[in-house]
Amino acid sequence: MTPLFALLFDQLDDRLRLRRPGRAVANKVFPHHWSFLLGEVALFSLIVLVATGIFLTLFYRPSTEPVIYTGSNPLYVGTSMPAAFESILRMSEDVPGALLIRRIHRGASHLFLAATVLHMLRILLTGAFRKPRELNYHLGIVLLTLAIAEGFLGYSLPYDSLAGTGIRIAYSEVLSFPFVGDRLAFWIFGGEFPTGDVIPRFFAFHVLVVPGIIIGTVSLHLLLLVRQKHTQFPRTGIDGHRMIVGKPLWPAQFAESATLMLWTAGLLTLAAVFIPWSDVALLGPYVPAEVGNNAQPDWFMFWLEGVLRMIPALEWDLPGLTISGPFIAGVVLPGLVFGALIAYPFIERRVYHLSGEWHVLQNPLDIPLRAAYAIGTFSFVLIASAAATNDQLSRLTGIPIETATWGFRIASMFVPPVLAFLLYRYSKGRLRRRGLAVASSEQEADSRFHEPASEQQPVT
Amino acid sequence: MSSPTRPARPEPEPATTPAEELLVLSERTPPPSQANDALVAGTAIASAVFAVVFAVALLLEAPLPVYGIALALALLLLAVAVRRYFTDRFPDVEAAEPRLHLDEGDDAPIADVEPVGRRPFLTRILIGAGAVLGLSFAAPVSSLGPSPGNALRTTAWQRGLRVVDGDGDPLRPDDIPVGGVATAWPNGAVGDEPSSLVVLRLSGQPQPPTDLDWVVDGSVVAYSKVCTHAGCPVALYRERDSALFCPCHQSTFDANRGAVPTFGPAARALPQLPLGVDADGYLVALGDFESQVGPAFG
Repeated sequence: MTPLFALLFDQLDDRLRLRRPGRAVANKVFPHHWSFLLGEVALFSLIVLVATGIFLTLFYRPSTEPVIYTGSNPLYVGTSMPAAFESILRMSEDVPGALLIRRIHRGASHLFLAATVLHMLRILLTGAFRKPRELNYHLGIVLLTLAIAEGFLGYSLPYDSLAGTGIRIAYSEVLSFPFVGDRLAFWIFGGEFPTGDVIPRFFAFHVLVVPGIIIGTVSLHLLLLVRQKHTQFPRTGIDGHRMIVGKPLWPAQFAESATLMLWTAGLLTLAAVFIPWSDVALLGPYVPAEVGNNAQPDWFMFWLEGVLRMIPALEWDLPGLTISGPFIAGVVLPGLVFGALIAYPFIERRVYHLSGEWHVLQNPLDIPLRAAYAIGTFSFVLIASAAATNDQLSRLTGIPIETATWGFRIASMFVPPVLAFLLYRYSKGRLRRRGLAVASSEQEADSRFHEPASEQQPVT
Repeated sequence: MSSPTRPARPEPEPATTPAEELLVLSERTPPPSQANDALVAGTAIASAVFAVVFAVALLLEAPLPVYGIALALALLLLAVAVRRYFTDRFPDVEAAEPRLHLDEGDDAPIADVEPVGRRPFLTRILIGAGAVLGLSFAAPVSSLGPSPGNALRTTAWQRGLRVVDGDGDPLRPDDIPVGGVATAWPNGAVGDEPSSLVVLRLSGQPQPPTDLDWVVDGSVVAYSKVCTHAGCPVALYRERDSALFCPCHQSTFDANRGAVPTFGPAARALPQLPLGVDADGYLVALGDFESQVGPAFG
């Protein structure tokens, strides 16, 4: 400790008695595996997002009132545009450093979502969601949902032509709710689209409400992690059910996390120099009833957009309500995907009669249902995401758009179940060849790991 | 680096160790290295230099790549310095921690002052009152937007209203060439999205279900521009097969045949505007759309 730091610490310790709790924190053990850093990358992206976002808030004008642009972009001088778009243009072109910070903010939002999705995949595949960690898994799903919502709100705020089109589609999605759609849409959007309330409301949610809930949920997520401790991969000679093995928070994990934070910030900055991924000057402001070709959302909305494109023409008028394609594509289907994610821990526990607590991670191929579920869901999401590029694909390859759309329709219906079925059969056969069934307790699963497979007795 | 100098103990004894003490399984002290010292010092100083370059370049309003790359280098070099600093100054320790035995249970009471066991219904009344109060907070939600009423079934179009372009200039049938298409609005409501219109002069013969009474000059028709799928503007027209095309989700409509959907996710035809010509030869509406504009609701 440097003398200054030691003096500060002594003064605080004199008043707060920090040594014992400090030591408990410093000695917290972190298992060592690269995949455990995905969640950290998400956390560090969030820090970058908050820091850059505060700066952007100081310049952004949440309004769609028309104003005359007087900044330095020759393309727009003297033209009338929504104040929101004007403020983005002005800060990007005329405030030193603001364009870099906007690009870092945008890049960090992509990284935040990507790291969150990969982190969730790791949790799902290795079984870190099992008892007693179901609650923390569900908090993670809440965070993913909020992150997608926050990303969409942020995409909307510049009020460029893509943003306005995105808001229009979101409004149509809310309208599509049976019975309450019109009422609900008028509440959320302040009346019939487009209203002057949309952007101020999106702004309040983007900078205050949603980030507030995200930060609160992340804090709870981390508190539960500390309380329940990490899961870990199996290791020869270690009873992972009783002991957790790794490196202490101080100094090893601290050094690693600090380095990772700097790497995250540094690479986001570098990417912001080379990738102009928030420049809206060429998109132009939103003008009602106009949309360009290649209208596409951010990548994390591709799967929803893809389903909206693939869904056949559907509209059932029932007495008093209407069930439409956009409702099935944009509400029912994502509801099913997220519903399955939420329910999965309980389904697995019931199907395989699992008992007790689980702290040691497993190969998903050891649990056929999980392997099948994961590949089914994620192949569907990937195919649906690819379907959101059907127009680009058609233009690039010359395949008629109708053929491309039919290809995606058929692939999304048949590929996921076939892959799920094949992987289920494969993992089941793999267990059977070793003379095993799915382990129903951690001790049973762990004992298999510690003994070589060849010495095991077949289960009959 | 990962080879421990002491063998791992498979089963440390948690019971005999105070909770705060670290159960060290292996420990490896790094040998002193001047090369590492030089690396830490070099990267740390270089990081500070680039931080200054970043700040000065930004203050001098240098181009973005200059201060951007300087900031990135400052961050990345500091990352290297921090990493190398710690690997050299601390032993590499692998440790164990006993898990919380959640499955063994704990019967201690959550609080030491227990309520007196009488009149449990009072508790329920209190919780019920709190819940009712909480629900009543939802009342201001209804202030968030007007009641939809008939708003989604009507547009700004009225009998006699002229059809104008984006600049507000009234359109004559002759303004639309054969195979041409224009975005149009009700006079006085330019930019009112639900009223937006595509006016086309068909190169083919319009057929039912197009309402032929609303076709001007035998070939000029007007349809709602709001896609009946998800509300995007039906912005593209392909003359070859008289197809109106929505670039968002590729719904396709046949403009020759009442704009019925021919491909994609839209299930309803684009409503046709009752179109006529006034005494001065300008295009006018003969009334509002007769079917609902835009996507389905409720």
